[in-house]
Amino acid sequence: MKQADSDHAPHSRHQRYDELAPLFAELAGVPKDDPRYEQLRDRLVTEHLPVAEHIARRFSHRGESQEDLTQVATLGLINAVDRFDPERGVDFLSYAVPTIMGEVRRHFRDTGWAVRMPRRLQELHLSVSSAIARLSQELGRAPTPSELAEHLGISREDVHRGLEAGNAYRSASLDELLTATDEIPLGDAIGSDDAELAEVENRETIRPLLAELDERERRILVMRFFRSMTQTQIAEQIGISQMHVSRLLSRTLAWLRQRLEQEETPAESSKD
Amino acid sequence: MSAPEPADRSAATRAGTPPPGEQRAGSPVVEVRVAAAAAQLPVLRAVTGDLAMRADFDVDAIDDLRLAVDEACSTLVGLAAESATLVCRFLAEEHSITLSAAVTSDDSRKPREDTFSWRVLSALADSVSTSVEPNADADGGHVVRIELTKGRTHE
Repeated sequence: MKQADSDHAPHSRHQRYDELAPLFAELAGVPKDDPRYEQLRDRLVTEHLPVAEHIARRFSHRGESQEDLTQVATLGLINAVDRFDPERGVDFLSYAVPTIMGEVRRHFRDTGWAVRMPRRLQELHLSVSSAIARLSQELGRAPTPSELAEHLGISREDVHRGLEAGNAYRSASLDELLTATDEIPLGDAIGSDDAELAEVENRETIRPLLAELDERERRILVMRFFRSMTQTQIAEQIGISQMHVSRLLSRTLAWLRQRLEQEETPAESSKD
Repeated sequence: MSAPEPADRSAATRAGTPPPGEQRAGSPVVEVRVAAAAAQLPVLRAVTGDLAMRADFDVDAIDDLRLAVDEACSTLVGLAAESATLVCRFLAEEHSITLSAAVTSDDSRKPREDTFSWRVLSALADSVSTSVEPNADADGGHVVRIELTKGRTHE
Protein backbone atom coordinates (compact mmCIF):
# COMPACT_ATOMS: atom_id res chain seq x y z
CA MET A 1 0.00 0.00 0.00
CA LYS A 2 1.17 3.48 -0.81
CA GLN A 3 2.09 5.39 2.28
CA ALA A 4 0.14 8.57 2.12
CA ASP A 5 2.71 11.30 1.77
CA SER A 6 4.22 11.44 5.25
CA ASP A 7 1.85 10.42 7.96
CA HIS A 8 1.84 13.28 10.33
CA ALA A 9 -0.07 16.36 9.38
CA PRO A 10 2.03 19.37 8.48
CA HIS A 11 2.82 21.73 11.25
CA SER A 12 0.53 24.45 10.03
CA ARG A 13 -2.41 22.11 10.12
CA HIS A 14 -1.65 21.12 13.64
CA GLN A 15 -1.74 24.75 14.56
CA ARG A 16 -5.09 25.13 12.91
CA TYR A 17 -6.51 22.32 15.00
CA ASP A 18 -4.93 23.77 18.10
CA GLU A 19 -6.96 26.88 17.56
CA LEU A 20 -10.10 24.79 17.88
CA ALA A 21 -9.16 23.50 21.32
CA PRO A 22 -10.99 26.22 23.27
CA LEU A 23 -14.19 25.25 21.48
CA PHE A 24 -14.14 21.87 23.19
CA ALA A 25 -14.01 23.51 26.57
CA GLU A 26 -16.91 25.67 25.51
CA LEU A 27 -18.85 22.68 24.19
CA ALA A 28 -18.44 20.89 27.49
CA GLY A 29 -20.01 23.83 29.25
CA VAL A 30 -23.10 24.20 27.03
CA PRO A 31 -26.22 22.13 27.75
CA LYS A 32 -27.14 19.75 24.93
CA ASP A 33 -30.49 21.34 24.24
CA ASP A 34 -28.92 24.76 23.78
CA PRO A 35 -28.80 25.66 20.07
CA ARG A 36 -25.21 26.77 20.64
CA TYR A 37 -24.29 23.15 21.41
CA GLU A 38 -25.36 22.00 17.98
CA GLN A 39 -23.44 24.85 16.35
CA LEU A 40 -20.25 24.13 18.21
CA ARG A 41 -20.50 20.43 17.58
CA ASP A 42 -21.10 20.98 13.87
CA ARG A 43 -18.17 23.31 13.61
CA LEU A 44 -15.83 20.96 15.44
CA VAL A 45 -16.85 18.03 13.25
CA THR A 46 -16.58 20.05 10.06
CA GLU A 47 -13.20 21.55 10.89
CA HIS A 48 -11.76 18.15 11.73
CA LEU A 49 -13.16 16.42 8.65
CA PRO A 50 -9.73 16.38 6.93
CA VAL A 51 -8.52 14.13 9.75
CA ALA A 52 -11.29 11.62 9.04
CA GLU A 53 -10.61 11.80 5.32
CA HIS A 54 -6.93 11.29 5.88
CA ILE A 55 -7.54 8.17 7.92
CA ALA A 56 -10.07 6.85 5.42
CA ARG A 57 -7.44 7.16 2.70
CA ARG A 58 -5.07 5.03 4.69
CA PHE A 59 -7.57 2.20 4.51
CA SER A 60 -8.21 2.43 0.81
CA HIS A 61 -7.15 -0.36 -1.57
CA ARG A 62 -8.92 -2.88 0.58
CA GLY A 63 -11.76 -3.34 -1.82
CA GLU A 64 -14.10 -0.82 -0.36
CA SER A 65 -15.23 2.45 -1.82
CA GLN A 66 -13.60 5.64 -0.63
CA GLU A 67 -17.00 7.20 0.01
CA ASP A 68 -18.00 4.42 2.39
CA LEU A 69 -14.71 4.59 4.22
CA THR A 70 -14.93 8.33 4.59
CA GLN A 71 -18.43 7.96 5.94
CA VAL A 72 -17.34 5.46 8.55
CA ALA A 73 -14.36 7.59 9.51
CA THR A 74 -16.62 10.61 9.82
CA LEU A 75 -18.85 8.63 12.13
CA GLY A 76 -15.79 7.90 14.22
CA LEU A 77 -14.96 11.58 14.23
CA ILE A 78 -18.44 12.51 15.43
CA ASN A 79 -18.16 9.96 18.22
CA ALA A 80 -14.81 11.39 19.15
CA VAL A 81 -16.20 14.93 19.29
CA ASP A 82 -19.08 13.74 21.43
CA ARG A 83 -16.98 11.76 23.83
CA PHE A 84 -13.88 13.90 24.09
CA ASP A 85 -13.29 15.25 27.55
CA PRO A 86 -11.06 18.35 27.45
CA GLU A 87 -10.53 18.07 31.21
CA ARG A 88 -8.35 15.03 30.74
CA GLY A 89 -5.40 16.97 29.48
CA VAL A 90 -4.86 15.15 26.17
CA ASP A 91 -5.36 17.08 23.00
CA PHE A 92 -8.25 16.21 20.75
CA LEU A 93 -6.20 14.67 17.94
CA SER A 94 -4.49 12.20 20.25
CA TYR A 95 -7.93 11.08 21.28
CA ALA A 96 -9.66 11.32 17.91
CA VAL A 97 -7.16 9.49 15.70
CA PRO A 98 -7.33 6.16 17.57
CA THR A 99 -11.09 6.54 17.92
CA ILE A 100 -11.54 7.04 14.19
CA MET A 101 -9.12 4.27 13.30
CA GLY A 102 -10.98 2.03 15.70
CA GLU A 103 -14.26 2.80 14.01
CA VAL A 104 -12.87 2.01 10.58
CA ARG A 105 -11.22 -1.20 11.78
CA ARG A 106 -14.36 -2.31 13.55
CA HIS A 107 -16.23 -1.71 10.35
CA PHE A 108 -13.86 -3.88 8.37
CA ARG A 109 -14.09 -6.54 10.99
CA ASP A 110 -17.88 -6.48 11.32
CA THR A 111 -18.45 -6.76 7.65
CA GLY A 112 -15.49 -8.86 6.69
CA TRP A 113 -14.40 -6.24 4.23
CA ALA A 114 -10.80 -7.00 4.84
CA VAL A 115 -11.19 -10.27 2.97
CA ARG A 116 -11.07 -9.93 -0.74
CA MET A 117 -13.10 -12.27 -2.81
CA PRO A 118 -11.11 -14.19 -5.40
CA ARG A 119 -11.84 -13.06 -8.91
CA ARG A 120 -13.49 -16.27 -10.08
CA LEU A 121 -15.86 -16.11 -7.12
CA GLN A 122 -16.58 -12.48 -7.80
CA GLU A 123 -17.67 -13.39 -11.29
CA LEU A 124 -19.82 -16.27 -10.08
CA HIS A 125 -21.34 -14.12 -7.41
CA LEU A 126 -22.13 -11.36 -9.87
CA SER A 127 -23.64 -13.59 -12.50
CA VAL A 128 -25.72 -15.54 -9.97
CA SER A 129 -26.87 -12.32 -8.43
CA SER A 130 -28.01 -10.81 -11.69
CA ALA A 131 -29.55 -14.11 -12.80
CA ILE A 132 -31.65 -14.08 -9.62
CA ALA A 133 -32.97 -10.67 -10.58
CA ARG A 134 -33.72 -11.69 -14.15
CA LEU A 135 -35.32 -15.04 -13.33
CA SER A 136 -37.38 -13.54 -10.51
CA GLN A 137 -38.92 -11.22 -13.06
CA GLU A 138 -39.61 -14.05 -15.46
CA LEU A 139 -40.95 -16.51 -12.93
CA GLY A 140 -42.69 -14.12 -10.59
CA ARG A 141 -40.89 -15.78 -7.68
CA ALA A 142 -37.38 -16.46 -6.49
CA PRO A 143 -35.51 -19.00 -8.60
CA THR A 144 -33.95 -22.21 -7.30
CA PRO A 145 -30.28 -23.15 -7.67
CA SER A 146 -31.13 -25.62 -10.43
CA GLU A 147 -33.00 -22.96 -12.38
CA LEU A 148 -30.05 -20.61 -11.95
CA ALA A 149 -27.64 -23.30 -13.13
CA GLU A 150 -29.69 -23.95 -16.21
CA HIS A 151 -30.14 -20.28 -16.98
CA LEU A 152 -26.43 -19.55 -16.64
CA GLY A 153 -25.21 -22.79 -18.17
CA ILE A 154 -23.02 -23.54 -15.17
CA SER A 155 -22.96 -26.40 -12.67
CA ARG A 156 -25.06 -26.53 -9.52
CA GLU A 157 -21.85 -26.51 -7.52
CA ASP A 158 -20.86 -23.24 -9.11
CA VAL A 159 -24.26 -21.77 -8.35
CA HIS A 160 -23.82 -22.86 -4.73
CA ARG A 161 -20.42 -21.24 -4.64
CA GLY A 162 -21.79 -18.04 -6.11
CA LEU A 163 -24.62 -17.97 -3.57
CA GLU A 164 -22.34 -18.72 -0.67
CA ALA A 165 -19.80 -16.15 -1.73
CA GLY A 166 -22.15 -13.43 -0.61
CA ASN A 167 -22.20 -14.85 2.89
CA ALA A 168 -18.53 -15.61 3.19
CA TYR A 169 -17.27 -12.37 1.80
CA ARG A 170 -18.37 -8.86 2.09
CA SER A 171 -19.26 -7.74 -1.38
CA ALA A 172 -21.44 -4.69 -1.11
CA SER A 173 -19.50 -2.98 -3.82
CA LEU A 174 -20.34 -5.78 -6.20
CA ASP A 175 -23.95 -5.63 -5.24
CA GLU A 176 -23.98 -1.91 -5.67
CA LEU A 177 -23.18 -2.42 -9.34
CA LEU A 178 -26.58 -3.99 -9.74
CA THR A 179 -28.26 -1.33 -7.74
CA ALA A 180 -30.65 1.18 -9.10
CA THR A 181 -30.97 4.28 -6.99
CA ASP A 182 -32.77 3.75 -3.76
CA GLU A 183 -34.24 6.33 -1.43
CA ILE A 184 -37.90 5.74 -1.67
CA PRO A 185 -39.15 7.43 1.47
CA LEU A 186 -39.93 5.14 4.33
CA GLY A 187 -43.39 6.64 4.48
CA ASP A 188 -46.12 4.57 6.04
CA ALA A 189 -43.85 1.64 6.70
CA ILE A 190 -42.60 3.02 9.94
CA GLY A 191 -45.84 4.57 11.15
CA SER A 192 -47.74 1.34 11.32
CA ASP A 193 -45.11 -0.99 12.65
CA ASP A 194 -46.01 0.41 16.03
CA ALA A 195 -49.36 -1.29 15.79
CA GLU A 196 -47.61 -4.44 14.67
CA LEU A 197 -45.30 -4.29 17.61
CA ALA A 198 -48.26 -4.11 19.97
CA GLU A 199 -48.26 -7.83 20.55
CA VAL A 200 -44.53 -8.00 21.05
CA GLU A 201 -43.75 -8.14 24.72
CA ASN A 202 -40.32 -6.55 24.54
CA ARG A 203 -41.44 -3.76 22.22
CA GLU A 204 -40.30 -1.09 24.64
CA THR A 205 -36.77 -2.38 24.20
CA ILE A 206 -37.16 -2.98 20.49
CA ARG A 207 -38.50 0.40 19.52
CA PRO A 208 -35.43 2.51 20.30
CA LEU A 209 -33.24 -0.13 18.67
CA LEU A 210 -35.28 0.03 15.48
CA ALA A 211 -34.87 3.78 15.58
CA GLU A 212 -31.11 3.33 15.65
CA LEU A 213 -31.06 1.35 12.43
CA ASP A 214 -30.38 3.21 9.27
CA GLU A 215 -33.42 3.85 7.21
CA ARG A 216 -32.82 1.21 4.61
CA GLU A 217 -32.13 -1.53 7.14
CA ARG A 218 -35.23 -0.61 9.06
CA ARG A 219 -37.35 -0.62 5.95
CA ILE A 220 -36.09 -4.04 4.97
CA LEU A 221 -36.83 -5.36 8.44
CA VAL A 222 -40.34 -3.92 8.45
CA MET A 223 -41.07 -5.20 4.95
CA ARG A 224 -39.89 -8.69 5.77
CA PHE A 225 -41.35 -9.16 9.22
CA PHE A 226 -44.32 -6.83 9.35
CA ARG A 227 -45.34 -6.83 5.71
CA SER A 228 -44.55 -10.46 4.99
CA MET A 229 -42.74 -9.52 1.80
CA THR A 230 -40.20 -11.98 0.43
CA GLN A 231 -36.57 -11.00 0.02
CA THR A 232 -37.02 -10.99 -3.73
CA GLN A 233 -39.96 -8.60 -3.49
CA ILE A 234 -38.02 -6.36 -1.13
CA ALA A 235 -35.03 -6.39 -3.45
CA GLU A 236 -37.19 -5.29 -6.33
CA GLN A 237 -38.90 -2.56 -4.38
CA ILE A 238 -35.74 -1.11 -2.90
CA GLY A 239 -33.64 -1.61 -5.97
CA ILE A 240 -30.83 -3.74 -4.59
CA SER A 241 -30.03 -7.39 -5.24
CA GLN A 242 -31.76 -10.20 -3.38
CA MET A 243 -28.40 -11.30 -2.03
CA HIS A 244 -27.79 -7.86 -0.69
CA VAL A 245 -31.17 -7.85 1.06
CA SER A 246 -30.29 -11.22 2.52
CA ARG A 247 -27.02 -9.95 3.90
CA LEU A 248 -28.48 -6.76 5.30
CA LEU A 249 -31.29 -8.68 7.00
CA SER A 250 -28.94 -11.16 8.52
CA ARG A 251 -26.67 -8.41 9.78
CA THR A 252 -29.55 -6.41 11.21
CA LEU A 253 -30.99 -9.41 13.01
CA ALA A 254 -27.63 -10.33 14.49
CA TRP A 255 -27.16 -6.78 15.67
CA LEU A 256 -30.63 -6.63 17.20
CA ARG A 257 -30.08 -9.92 18.98
CA GLN A 258 -26.84 -8.74 20.45
CA ARG A 259 -28.34 -5.47 21.63
CA LEU A 260 -31.41 -7.12 23.06
CA GLU A 261 -29.27 -9.51 24.99
CA GLN A 262 -27.33 -6.61 26.47
CA GLU A 263 -30.47 -4.73 27.40
CA GLU A 264 -32.51 -7.61 28.71
CA THR A 265 -29.97 -9.38 30.86
CA PRO A 266 -27.87 -6.65 32.38
CA ALA A 267 -27.74 -8.36 35.77
CA GLU A 268 -26.95 -11.85 34.61
CA SER A 269 -23.28 -12.45 34.00
CA SER A 270 -22.62 -12.88 30.31
CA LYS A 271 -22.03 -16.36 29.02
CA ASP A 272 -19.11 -15.69 26.78
CA MET B 1 -18.37 -35.89 17.21
CA SER B 2 -17.61 -32.34 18.13
CA ALA B 3 -17.03 -28.97 16.60
CA PRO B 4 -13.71 -29.27 14.71
CA GLU B 5 -14.94 -30.04 11.22
CA PRO B 6 -18.65 -29.54 11.30
CA ALA B 7 -18.85 -28.02 7.86
CA ASP B 8 -17.97 -31.43 6.48
CA ARG B 9 -21.33 -32.97 5.85
CA SER B 10 -20.21 -36.53 5.89
CA ALA B 11 -18.73 -35.97 9.31
CA ALA B 12 -21.95 -34.37 10.36
CA THR B 13 -24.18 -37.08 9.01
CA ARG B 14 -25.78 -38.98 11.78
CA ALA B 15 -24.53 -42.51 12.19
CA GLY B 16 -26.35 -43.09 15.45
CA THR B 17 -29.91 -44.01 16.17
CA PRO B 18 -32.55 -41.67 14.89
CA PRO B 19 -36.06 -42.07 16.24
CA PRO B 20 -38.08 -44.56 14.24
CA GLY B 21 -39.44 -43.23 11.00
CA GLU B 22 -36.96 -40.42 10.60
CA GLN B 23 -34.22 -42.18 8.70
CA ARG B 24 -35.74 -42.89 5.37
CA ALA B 25 -33.96 -43.38 2.11
CA GLY B 26 -33.65 -40.09 0.28
CA SER B 27 -34.46 -38.09 3.38
CA PRO B 28 -31.30 -38.24 5.40
CA VAL B 29 -31.06 -36.90 8.88
CA VAL B 30 -28.08 -34.67 9.43
CA GLU B 31 -27.12 -34.02 12.98
CA VAL B 32 -24.64 -31.40 14.08
CA ARG B 33 -23.45 -31.02 17.64
CA VAL B 34 -21.63 -27.89 18.67
CA ALA B 35 -20.86 -26.09 21.88
CA ALA B 36 -23.86 -23.95 22.79
CA ALA B 37 -22.04 -20.71 22.05
CA ALA B 38 -22.71 -17.85 19.69
CA ALA B 39 -19.34 -18.43 18.05
CA GLN B 40 -20.63 -21.75 16.68
CA LEU B 41 -23.61 -20.30 14.89
CA PRO B 42 -21.80 -19.71 11.58
CA VAL B 43 -21.23 -23.46 11.39
CA LEU B 44 -24.94 -24.10 11.66
CA ARG B 45 -25.70 -21.38 9.17
CA ALA B 46 -23.34 -22.97 6.69
CA VAL B 47 -24.81 -26.44 7.13
CA THR B 48 -28.33 -25.06 6.83
CA GLY B 49 -27.54 -23.14 3.67
CA ASP B 50 -25.87 -26.15 2.15
CA LEU B 51 -28.79 -28.48 2.89
CA ALA B 52 -31.33 -26.01 1.54
CA MET B 53 -29.32 -25.40 -1.64
CA ARG B 54 -28.96 -29.11 -2.21
CA ALA B 55 -32.67 -29.55 -1.67
CA ASP B 56 -33.06 -26.97 -4.45
CA PHE B 57 -35.16 -24.60 -2.36
CA ASP B 58 -35.63 -21.25 -4.02
CA VAL B 59 -33.17 -18.58 -2.96
CA ASP B 60 -35.67 -16.81 -0.71
CA ALA B 61 -36.46 -20.02 1.13
CA ILE B 62 -32.75 -20.83 1.46
CA ASP B 63 -32.10 -17.50 3.13
CA ASP B 64 -35.22 -17.68 5.27
CA LEU B 65 -34.23 -21.07 6.56
CA ARG B 66 -30.72 -19.90 7.27
CA LEU B 67 -31.96 -16.89 9.20
CA ALA B 68 -34.54 -19.00 11.04
CA VAL B 69 -31.97 -21.53 12.17
CA ASP B 70 -29.76 -18.68 13.27
CA GLU B 71 -32.56 -17.12 15.28
CA ALA B 72 -33.70 -20.38 16.86
CA CYS B 73 -30.20 -21.45 17.80
CA SER B 74 -29.34 -18.03 19.22
CA THR B 75 -32.38 -18.30 21.43
CA LEU B 76 -31.29 -21.72 22.64
CA VAL B 77 -27.72 -20.56 23.21
CA GLY B 78 -29.19 -17.88 25.45
CA LEU B 79 -31.00 -20.49 27.54
CA ALA B 80 -28.27 -23.10 27.60
CA ALA B 81 -26.62 -24.35 30.74
CA GLU B 82 -22.91 -23.76 31.15
CA SER B 83 -20.82 -25.82 28.70
CA ALA B 84 -23.95 -27.35 27.21
CA THR B 85 -24.00 -28.88 23.74
CA LEU B 86 -26.37 -27.62 21.10
CA VAL B 87 -27.72 -30.52 19.09
CA CYS B 88 -29.24 -29.69 15.73
CA ARG B 89 -30.98 -32.37 13.78
CA PHE B 90 -31.99 -31.59 10.25
CA LEU B 91 -34.48 -33.70 8.40
CA ALA B 92 -34.56 -33.03 4.69
CA GLU B 93 -37.73 -34.34 3.13
CA GLU B 94 -38.99 -33.92 -0.36
CA HIS B 95 -41.01 -30.81 0.28
CA SER B 96 -39.58 -29.47 3.49
CA ILE B 97 -36.65 -29.25 5.82
CA THR B 98 -37.22 -29.60 9.53
CA LEU B 99 -34.81 -28.55 12.21
CA SER B 100 -35.04 -29.86 15.70
CA ALA B 101 -32.57 -28.06 17.93
CA ALA B 102 -32.07 -28.72 21.62
CA VAL B 103 -29.89 -27.70 24.52
CA THR B 104 -29.83 -28.55 28.19
CA SER B 105 -30.86 -25.73 30.42
CA ASP B 106 -30.75 -25.14 34.14
CA ASP B 107 -34.35 -24.12 34.36
CA SER B 108 -37.57 -25.22 32.80
CA ARG B 109 -38.33 -21.98 31.01
CA LYS B 110 -39.61 -22.32 27.50
CA PRO B 111 -38.44 -19.77 24.96
CA ARG B 112 -40.91 -16.91 25.17
CA GLU B 113 -43.36 -16.66 22.34
CA ASP B 114 -44.23 -13.01 22.74
CA THR B 115 -40.87 -11.56 21.77
CA PHE B 116 -39.58 -9.87 18.68
CA SER B 117 -37.26 -12.78 18.12
CA TRP B 118 -40.19 -15.17 18.10
CA ARG B 119 -42.00 -13.00 15.64
CA VAL B 120 -38.97 -13.09 13.36
CA LEU B 121 -38.76 -16.83 13.73
CA SER B 122 -42.41 -17.43 12.92
CA ALA B 123 -42.21 -15.14 9.91
CA LEU B 124 -39.23 -17.06 8.53
CA ALA B 125 -40.40 -20.62 9.13
CA ASP B 126 -43.68 -22.23 8.13
CA SER B 127 -44.17 -23.67 11.57
CA VAL B 128 -42.34 -23.35 14.86
CA SER B 129 -42.86 -25.04 18.18
CA THR B 130 -41.03 -25.31 21.46
CA SER B 131 -40.95 -27.84 24.24
CA VAL B 132 -39.24 -28.39 27.55
CA GLU B 133 -38.82 -31.72 29.21
CA PRO B 134 -36.82 -32.94 32.18
CA ASN B 135 -33.41 -34.15 31.15
CA ALA B 136 -33.51 -37.92 31.37
CA ASP B 137 -29.81 -38.70 31.47
CA ALA B 138 -28.38 -35.99 33.66
CA ASP B 139 -28.73 -34.83 37.20
CA GLY B 140 -31.63 -32.47 36.89
CA GLY B 141 -31.71 -29.89 34.17
CA HIS B 142 -34.10 -29.67 31.30
CA VAL B 143 -33.97 -30.13 27.59
CA VAL B 144 -35.26 -27.09 25.75
CA ARG B 145 -36.15 -27.71 22.14
CA ILE B 146 -37.19 -25.61 19.20
CA GLU B 147 -38.55 -27.31 16.15
CA LEU B 148 -39.16 -25.52 12.90
CA THR B 149 -40.15 -26.49 9.40
CA LYS B 150 -39.69 -24.69 6.14
CA GLY B 151 -41.32 -25.95 2.99
CA ARG B 152 -40.19 -25.19 -0.50
CA THR B 153 -42.13 -22.18 -1.63
CA HIS B 154 -43.06 -23.63 -4.97
CA GLU B 155 -43.43 -27.17 -6.23
